[in-house]
Amino acid sequence: MMKTFLVLSVVCLFSFVNSEDGKPARLLASKTILNQYLVEGKDLTVEYNIYNVGESTAVDVQLVDMGFPQSDFETVRGSLRVKWERIAPGTNVSHAAILSPLKPGYFNFTAAEVRYQGSEENSEVQLTYTTAPGEEGIVSRKDYDRKFSPHVIDWVTFAIMTLPSIGFPFMLWYSSKSKYDTKPKKN
Amino acid sequence: MATSRMVLAALAILAVLPVFTSGDTCLRPSVVSQTYTSSEAMMATETVVIVEFTLTCANNLKDVNLYAEINGRTLPATRGQNSKTYQVSWSDDHKNIPAGTYTVRFFDEDKYAALRKAQRSGDNTADIEPLFTIDVNHKGTYSGPFIQAEALATCVAILVWYLAYSTKSNLQS
Repeated sequence: MMKTFLVLSVVCLFSFVNSEDGKPARLLASKTILNQYLVEGKDLTVEYNIYNVGESTAVDVQLVDMGFPQSDFETVRGSLRVKWERIAPGTNVSHAAILSPLKPGYFNFTAAEVRYQGSEENSEVQLTYTTAPGEEGIVSRKDYDRKFSPHVIDWVTFAIMTLPSIGFPFMLWYSSKSKYDTKPKKN
Repeated sequence: MATSRMVLAALAILAVLPVFTSGDTCLRPSVVSQTYTSSEAMMATETVVIVEFTLTCANNLKDVNLYAEINGRTLPATRGQNSKTYQVSWSDDHKNIPAGTYTVRFFDEDKYAALRKAQRSGDNTADIEPLFTIDVNHKGTYSGPFIQAEALATCVAILVWYLAYSTKSNLQS
């Protein structure tokens, strides 16, 4: 009986110490797409922010984003598989990557995975997910250009096409003016 | 026999130990870097700067923890999959990152501690020698043409009409 009590009390003490001393790190992560428009063949800017809202330092933090398959995206700059040695409590880190969508259409942007250890002593690996931006439409390059390019060539073509209807009467008027209007006319 | 072997092993470890401990600083760092800055406001609501680099040390030091300092802001360098690859990225409003060349200074743990100390005591942080620096050239973020083509075309059309109309009223008067 006495032995059991002793064991129990030790267990209680141990768990008490554990909860008091080692409140683990807790990471909150966001994944944001910074684009106003997602356009095929143009830069797609993804930003990740990881906050440590826990009370210990997060150790060996790994961010892995499997949400951009090679069949749909090309990585322009930045890595989708990165790690931080440690993230101190109350601080945040950020990471960015640039991709280029290969085809237009709707795409579901899913969450990235974050793996970390709750503290120096706690080697148990925690898994958390970033926020997911959700489904977004990727505009084809042709549609984007139709909407946003300066259309300089189109306007120059338009000007050339309107030139005959304005230029021809002008030429007629100008030739008659220079023929008959030799001295300045007095009103 | 066994004890003498253990003593030998301990001696060997002791002899090798200084090699590991003295190799803390990266000697003659050689850096190959690639940078990216946002070029179009349509593609990013904030200007994003990315510096990717691989670091090779003459003393073959690996897994060095690095910190970057840019305009007084310090951030830890993100590590890639490879033990030599790193990335530093930050973002801010377009107006806060205007076009120009930015020098990113990199520090290892020791130098970073010195930097933090200088920051805390309000000393000049520029005096602290970084491990190496990387220059980022930002060409500015393009947020569309200064004047829309259709507005310009309208102005030209109104000008042509005005000239024609004024000539006509001159003739008729």
